[in-house]
Amino acid sequence: MSARAAGLGVGLVFGVTLSWSGLASPEVIRDALLFKDSYLFLLFGSAVLVAAVGLALMRRAERRALLVDAQITCEPERPARRHLTGAAIFGLGWGIADACPGPIAVQVGQGIAWGLATFTGVVIGVYLFVRREEPETEPATDVPTARRARGRGTPAPSTR
Amino acid sequence: MRALFNARLGVTGGFSEVVGRVRAGQVGFDWRGWFLVGVILGGTVYALAAGGPLFHGYGWLTDTFHGDAQILIAPILLGAGVLIGFGAKLAGGCTSGNGLSGTAMLSPAALAATATFFGTAIVVSFLIEAVI
Repeated sequence: MSARAAGLGVGLVFGVTLSWSGLASPEVIRDALLFKDSYLFLLFGSAVLVAAVGLALMRRAERRALLVDAQITCEPERPARRHLTGAAIFGLGWGIADACPGPIAVQVGQGIAWGLATFTGVVIGVYLFVRREEPETEPATDVPTARRARGRGTPAPSTR
Repeated sequence: MRALFNARLGVTGGFSEVVGRVRAGQVGFDWRGWFLVGVILGGTVYALAAGGPLFHGYGWLTDTFHGDAQILIAPILLGAGVLIGFGAKLAGGCTSGNGLSGTAMLSPAALAATATFFGTAIVVSFLIEAVI
């Protein structure tokens, strides 16, 4: 299975789940942010919990990544100013549009025309950032991070 | 995602990849771009299966602006999108990257970012509620 196909597959599942759970609806997000409805917080909390348990198990097993040649690593990052300013800017946009990048993409897929405006905005926002600062900050590009981690020899010696 | 790629899953990463490639004039992108394509298609699959989109109108925006004034919604959403895209990149992730994947890792940066964006969005929502 190629990495691209896996990305597409996981994306499909994520997109359907976001639609199904109602998280792509601005009404649902807004009701949650106004504390009218606890659904989002409960759902979010349980998702984080499931992910945390999964990650903890994986870390314990010291598994290697299935698709790329790297030990599975989790490096907690220290909070810097950019995390707070970025999150504040993000929160401002999120509070106005009541949709974040995942749901925006889902809305476009569902054929919701308003979603296209927000989608275009996100593309412009990302473009402005990349233009301003060439090196990426998104840890999703973990290839260099993983390399750095191995160089430092952070992970404990594998027992397998 | 960790298991597959040793990478943090996030939708902003997908946007980033696609924007980067298009900017470099390249065709095709890596798994993060395909992940974004998958999320979009996931919405399509759902709409087809459910017989239509999830909702009609657009929350408080279509409730507030009627008729000709609805033309204002597009620039508002566009502007919000710019803030979302730029902010997410600066913070190193959005709701899925920092909020889900990051907090699940108990990454202090992601926890701080998640608390901040939830807080800001809540304040903004209450402000909008107070104004409209």
